[in-house]
Amino acid sequence: MMTSRHLAPSLEFLLQEIQGIRTKRKGQRRLRVDLSAETLPALLELLKGRAGYVHLSAISCVDWIEQNEFELVYHLWSYETRVLVMAHIRIPREHGVYVSVYDLYKPAAFFERDIHEMFGVYFEGSPDMGKFILTEWDGPPPMRKEFDGEAWVMEHFTWQDYRPEWLAEIEAKGGGITTRPEDVRR
Amino acid sequence: MRPENYEAVRQPPSNEFELFFGPNHPGIEGNYALKVRVHGDEVRSARADGGYLHRGFEKLMEGRLWIQNIALVPRICVPDPVPMEVCYSLAIEELGGLQVPERAQWIRVMQLELSRIAAHLFTFGGHAATTGMYTPMFWGVADRDLILDLFEELSGGRVYHIYNIPGGVRRELPEGYLERVSRTLDYIESRLPDYDNLFFTNQVFVQRARGAGPMSQEQALEWGVTGPNLRATGLAFDVRRDDPYLVYDQLDFDVPVEHAGDAWARALVRRGELLQSIRILRQVVARLPEIGGPIRAPIPNPLAWNVPAGEVYTRVESSKGELAYYIVSTGGDKPYRVHVRGPSSMHAVQVLEQLVTGGRIEDVAQIMFSLDACPPEVDR
Amino acid sequence: MSELENIPVVAQGGPAPAKAAEEKSGGLFSRVFDELITFCRSRSMFMLHYCTGCGAIELPPAMTSRFDMERLGIQPMVTPRQADILLITGYVSIKTLKRVILTYEQMGSPKYVIGICSCTVNGGMYWQSYATAKKLNEYMPVDLYIAGCMPRPEAVIAGMRELMENIRSGKADNWRDYYRRYDWYLGNQQKLFGERWQTPTDVIGEARHYGLLGDQTLGEHTALLEKHRVPLPPMEMRLGLKQEGQG
Repeated sequence: MMTSRHLAPSLEFLLQEIQGIRTKRKGQRRLRVDLSAETLPALLELLKGRAGYVHLSAISCVDWIEQNEFELVYHLWSYETRVLVMAHIRIPREHGVYVSVYDLYKPAAFFERDIHEMFGVYFEGSPDMGKFILTEWDGPPPMRKEFDGEAWVMEHFTWQDYRPEWLAEIEAKGGGITTRPEDVRR
Repeated sequence: MRPENYEAVRQPPSNEFELFFGPNHPGIEGNYALKVRVHGDEVRSARADGGYLHRGFEKLMEGRLWIQNIALVPRICVPDPVPMEVCYSLAIEELGGLQVPERAQWIRVMQLELSRIAAHLFTFGGHAATTGMYTPMFWGVADRDLILDLFEELSGGRVYHIYNIPGGVRRELPEGYLERVSRTLDYIESRLPDYDNLFFTNQVFVQRARGAGPMSQEQALEWGVTGPNLRATGLAFDVRRDDPYLVYDQLDFDVPVEHAGDAWARALVRRGELLQSIRILRQVVARLPEIGGPIRAPIPNPLAWNVPAGEVYTRVESSKGELAYYIVSTGGDKPYRVHVRGPSSMHAVQVLEQLVTGGRIEDVAQIMFSLDACPPEVDR
Repeated sequence: MSELENIPVVAQGGPAPAKAAEEKSGGLFSRVFDELITFCRSRSMFMLHYCTGCGAIELPPAMTSRFDMERLGIQPMVTPRQADILLITGYVSIKTLKRVILTYEQMGSPKYVIGICSCTVNGGMYWQSYATAKKLNEYMPVDLYIAGCMPRPEAVIAGMRELMENIRSGKADNWRDYYRRYDWYLGNQQKLFGERWQTPTDVIGEARHYGLLGDQTLGEHTALLEKHRVPLPPMEMRLGLKQEGQG
């Protein structure tokens, strides 16, 4: 079995088959890969078929609101080569649509459903795009950067009246609260 | 299903009925729901329903300072909170280029293994209770309480410790702490023959658990199973061994493996891991007095700390499987994105649905507890 | 085959409501009996085994041999119909809050709610979260709060003992408040869940049965219940020979 010191060069040799890929070694067992959204399924098939990357650890989504893009990161692990490959792609933000990788990796169904609920990105071909966690939620996808969670909370909830005895004692002596929590909360 | 949509729906007559292993159920670990369609005794299909414990952690963490999130992070996994703190701290240390002093690394390993033993003792009790034996739960919870006493002495809190920060640990060990740890380990090791007699080799349990929720190695790899559940199918993958962090590459331990892949094999793997954790802890306790030095790397003022921009994916072996954090920083004083990947994201949702189908009703609760699914990790 | 007649429905007017609970009729014997009843009730509490949040991890230590809640008469029970206490252990997410309200209404009176952990008091650590409820006693009446994050088992037991004392002395009767001010509670629930929110329990009928129907029980929010109620069509029941279509 090859150790990770030897394998990273041959893995990078394999990755050159993908057009337009940029690789960057981030540690002894971490390899970052940037590629275009169209070539990702080919990369995944290559890694799964030829390099033994059978474990999809996670799919993360990052909302780059200023650049008007979503970044999807696929974290793949191989039990034999023991190098984690992080594949980064960008998709445009307005019609957040991408293709599902469920036929290659079954764990993708959970992450794609989660990203759909939280960010609103639709994955074509994923077996179940229904709501799982946010079944009672009617608002916008909450993890998007334009959704202000705290403002929503301030609008929809009220707070307890706070009148403890120790405060009454302090106020009887002329003191009191100088900064109320309501002033600190936006 | 929303409760306000209570409408009688006409179904065609059939032999199946839908049973709610709903949120208020002692056979479900935590606050989680599973809807099964049964035909007599046999489960035909199942559908998991989560979100009862959703707090929006990832959104909350984006609005708080780096150091404030340490208080939030252990609450993501309630029975086993220490790997969460350690994983988050490791991620920030990697981003910020901090070098953790050696003594702090050994103390972190000690905490992680103590938390692993506590979580496994809790799981034994839960698993036994689903087969109708309630005594292991009493024993497991009582023995786990001794470990919680140790944690309370170390950090002040029984369950949530808030003891690891980026850079190291917060406080030095108390006087005589390592002797108390040794004595607790001696006691737990002396109790294992009792646990074996009552639980692991008890024919009542063996006959119930053998063959319940079987999983082959190909299925486990296909579904993304990690942790003790994967080791019960024969693959010896452990993040501590294959992607080592802290000082695990200097420690001497085995990775216990079984081959049957059913509930009994999973329970035996956890028992083996408990023994290995005790072995690791004995090495740590022997080595810690020799290591001096600081327990914390210097960090800038935590209330105004801009962690350098970058992204990092850290993994840790929690008692339930592979736990990972993906943290993106843009150089500010708050995280830009924190994505928590809990091991139960796979186990409690897809794997549970698959394993329960084709089994019997009485095995549904047992399968869930034997997979050691932790609903707060699924819902975050 | 015969068709069953419609099951007779108790008319809306119903029998005369029971005497108001405040009037104590009868003499010394009745009062002694009432005190005996409240004493026994306070010593035998069945706690609903519903782990709603984080704080539930400290319940097994409180129930098992080290801290042993059972010596005080507190025992876990799995069905709400036979439970006295609803423990809200920790934060309540909105999805859980709907089920908790359903469970609370299914419990038989008198019932008591304990809010454990600081999250039930004023939002706690998740006060900025869009998915948790902040003030629990806006949605259901709470008898006791136990602060902490999370409270130790000794704190939970101390809280239970205070609740037992309150029950014995008669101070813990917030369950009546739910019937007296149902419109206010329902209004808060509808504000959070939407106008179509309703539960299968007939709270107004129960209020009438207990004699607690006051002028704050009905109001604009309970009127919405009628507006959105979907009537259950009567399901026919057939007896006799086996029908085709049944396997």
